[in-house]
Amino acid sequence: MNMPLDAEPECEDAALLARYVQGDASAARLLTARLTPRVFAHAFRVLGDAAEAEDVSQDAMLRLWRIAPEWRTGEAKVSTWLYRVTANLCTDRLRRKRGSALDDIAEPADPTPGAEARLQDRARYDALQAALATLPERQRQAVVLRHIEGLANPEIAVILEITTEAVESLTARGKRALAQALSGARAQLGYEDESH
Amino acid sequence: MTELDALLTQARDIDTPTPLMGRVLEDALAQQPVPRLRVAPTIWAQLANVLGGWQGMGGLVAATCAGLWIGISPPQALPESIIEILGTTDSYVQQDPSLSGFGWDVEEG
Repeated sequence: MNMPLDAEPECEDAALLARYVQGDASAARLLTARLTPRVFAHAFRVLGDAAEAEDVSQDAMLRLWRIAPEWRTGEAKVSTWLYRVTANLCTDRLRRKRGSALDDIAEPADPTPGAEARLQDRARYDALQAALATLPERQRQAVVLRHIEGLANPEIAVILEITTEAVESLTARGKRALAQALSGARAQLGYEDESH
Repeated sequence: MTELDALLTQARDIDTPTPLMGRVLEDALAQQPVPRLRVAPTIWAQLANVLGGWQGMGGLVAATCAGLWIGISPPQALPESIIEILGTTDSYVQQDPSLSGFGWDVEEG
C-alpha cells in the first residue's frame, strides 16, 4: 500500500482532524501517515514486540478516530493525547504480562547475565531494545519519549501524568541504567574506547 | 554526543509495517462521520429568519394591521393633535372667494 508522504506539513494535526470529521478522506490518509509511525515506534520500544506494538498502535489510532467528533481544538495537542493513550495501553499490556504492579519492580542495578549474553549476539538496536527492557516501565516510557522520540519534558509530564521534575528524574536514572546495561557489551557493539 | 545519545537518535528510525498502515486507514475511513446534506433554505424561510422568525413576523403583522385600522378609522377618544399627526384630520380650510358677494352683486348689477 502506498502511503503518501506528509503533503501538508504546515497543517496542524487538529485542523486535519477537523477536516476528517467533515468527511475529508485525504485528512484521514495524512493523519494515518503522520501519526501511526510515531505511535508504533513508541509502542515497539516500550513493549519490545512488533506484533503487540501493532495491536496497540491500531487500538490507539482507533480511539483517535472515535473521539474525533468531540475533539476540542486548542485544549491539547493531538500527538500528546495519542502518546498518552499509547503509553497507557502499553502499561496495561505490560501489567497483564507480568501480573504484578510495575511500580513495585526494583530498578536493576546491573544487566542480568542473560541480558549480557544476548547482547553479544545482537546488533546495536537489539542491544538497545534489550537494555530498554531492563528498565522499569515508567522509566522506559520516559526514556523513549525523551531520548528517542525527542519530546520536551513538559510534554512528557502531560503524557505520563506526572510532574516535570519527576520526568527529569526518570529520564536521568533511565539513561544511567541504559548506559550501565550497554557497558558490558561495548566491544561487541563496536565501541572501542571507555568513554560514554 | 555520547555513543548512547547517538544510538538513541538512530533508534528513531523504525519502519512501520505497511499492513498496519493499511489497517489504521481502513479503521479511519470506517469510523469517519458521514457528512450530512444541508438543504438550502427557501427565500421565504430566509426572509422569516431575517425578520426574527414567526414571533417577529407575528408582531410585524399585528403592528401593520393596527396601524392600518387606526389610519382608516381613528378612534374618537384620540386627542385632536394625535389625529393631526396621523394625517387623518377631517378639518378643512375655508377658502375665501376672491370676489366678495358684494362684488358679484356689483358686476351683475
